[in-house]
Amino acid sequence: MFRPLHQLVPLTIIFAIAVTAFVVGRMYLVPETFGEYGHYRADAVGEVASQEIAYAGYQVCYDCHDDIYDEKMESNHSGVSCEVCHGPAAAHTEAPDEVTPDIPHGRSDCVLCHGYNPSRPSGFPQILPELHNTGKPCMVCHNPHAPVLDHAPTECSACHRKISSQKMVSHHALLECSQCHTVAEGHRTNPASVRADKPESKDVCGSCHDKGAESSRGIPRVDVETHNARYLCWDCHYPHQPEVVR
Amino acid sequence: MTHTLLAALTSLANPMAPSGYIYPNEFELHWSLLIIVYPYLTGLVAGAFILASLERVFNVKALQPVYRLSLLTALAFMIIAPLPLLAHLGHPERCLEMFLTPHVASAMAMFGFVYAWYLSVVLLLEIWFDYRKDIVNWGNEKKGFMKYVYKALTLGATDISKKSLAFDEKIGRAITIIGIPSAFLLHGYVGFIFGSIKANPWWSSVLIPIVFIFSAIVSGIALMLIIYMVTSMFRWKHIDMKCLNKLAELLLYAMIIDFGLEFLDFIHRLYESEESIHILAEMISSRLFISLIISQILLGSLVPMVALVVARFGKFPSEMKRILYFIAALLVQVGIFSTRWNVVIGGQLFSKSLRGLTVYKVDLFGLEGVFMSILLLLAPLGVLYVLTKVLPPWDDTDPGAAQIQK
Repeated sequence: MFRPLHQLVPLTIIFAIAVTAFVVGRMYLVPETFGEYGHYRADAVGEVASQEIAYAGYQVCYDCHDDIYDEKMESNHSGVSCEVCHGPAAAHTEAPDEVTPDIPHGRSDCVLCHGYNPSRPSGFPQILPELHNTGKPCMVCHNPHAPVLDHAPTECSACHRKISSQKMVSHHALLECSQCHTVAEGHRTNPASVRADKPESKDVCGSCHDKGAESSRGIPRVDVETHNARYLCWDCHYPHQPEVVR
Repeated sequence: MTHTLLAALTSLANPMAPSGYIYPNEFELHWSLLIIVYPYLTGLVAGAFILASLERVFNVKALQPVYRLSLLTALAFMIIAPLPLLAHLGHPERCLEMFLTPHVASAMAMFGFVYAWYLSVVLLLEIWFDYRKDIVNWGNEKKGFMKYVYKALTLGATDISKKSLAFDEKIGRAITIIGIPSAFLLHGYVGFIFGSIKANPWWSSVLIPIVFIFSAIVSGIALMLIIYMVTSMFRWKHIDMKCLNKLAELLLYAMIIDFGLEFLDFIHRLYESEESIHILAEMISSRLFISLIISQILLGSLVPMVALVVARFGKFPSEMKRILYFIAALLVQVGIFSTRWNVVIGGQLFSKSLRGLTVYKVDLFGLEGVFMSILLLLAPLGVLYVLTKVLPPWDDTDPGAAQIQK
């Protein structure tokens, strides 16, 4: 017997059950204070505020460890807070003898900042951990509170790793950095205030690449005076990878 | 010196190292293989459904043999489609928050409802109305456990009188008509998510949602062509060449539109020549050369289009046509997967400084690895197998579906 629209009855019931379950479920599952301040649970603010404080802040460390603090403030690590390496130390400040903070002895912590990463700024000390004194804990040579060694780096690549990596696979691989840059002695120990000199005229490039230069025969030559006279060489050729024309 | 040499060797051994200047948070890609699999799967859902609607709404009778199969395929892929996202989230249980406390300004949150609408209202209802008569019959004929499964699936609506079935037909048609814009919405949204990211010049384009929809149609038709051929082979049935030719034709037309739109997008970007054009050109000629030029354009678009034209309009025996169609459809799948790859990965390879490129290395194992992606790509086929066992989409009593002599 034909019952008009009888197919829709079970579907309507299922739909009604689903909608009711959704509405009732929301009543129970959505936190009461949701939406009070914004699209989040308002109670969360109080809960976070009431959490136990784990970090003490570097100022507290000074009260007992003033010698280390002073040493660090003089060093390149002056901006690195004590708890960055030693971990949260609030408990230590409450009970110094009972709770002692971590002292990282291995190599894994230092490379978090000093491992080579192409996106880090040039000049920031970076190493390839697999090549740099493999297996030796960093602390053997570097005092973490004054990490700069008592002797200056011997290679430019110690800081300028990215430039060095690019240059070593380019046609300029065999050129010393000093071929183009005059590096004042102070730059090695205090790079931020004593900058390395950069070429300012085309003559530096011309000393090898000018058609009249006295250099090996295989080197590409141009007339430096007339070759794109309005531009400097490095406007188009990246000196550390001259094959790449910008 | 030894260090310098070793570093040189390391750099040579890794020619795909990041180049130029990139910001620290751009070194590693956050959207990886699983996010490629997701739009690929939803594209197949939308494509398969739109193909089914051609038969239902636009009365393309040649497609009758794949109508039900397309619906079940859409459902199978729809069930699996959210899994890559849930796996990528790391906290899949939090997806419920999207339904409980939806943020109306978030396209991603609103999509949860689009998805629920498409799955429950469009796909399930259409399949139910289309199969209702058969489900009632199977409930009466079958024995044992399956009898009760079918009885339950009828939901108590057991009237299969002529008038009642006519009503099923009418409402099924209405659902399909609603389903077409829903399918467009489903996959258009995925394109919308990328297209609306205005800070990313590779993604930010109003054309992206439309390109996504047409590439979805292309991938869906190609998938149905493959599934129809493979299932016919395993069932020892003759392939209906009328249907296959129609599928190939539709695939070709959809590909021409899709390729035309993508070409338009390309020309438009070139003509606009915004400040990002140099880094994008460098990315296409280096990082994306294989996946874009070779895999997407050459192997995934031009070669199958030529193969389809030759096979459809050339004078070849049916066997040859079938082989060419099959190869073309497989290449289309490779091409569409590459399209998704190029959108998702391409948008993250260049720095927002527009001065450098990073690299993407695929993991083999793990939640975001190759094996996981293969598993998620194969899972819908497993679901489809089960669905075809419960709701067989083919009528074996039909004299048109002739049995091949074993």
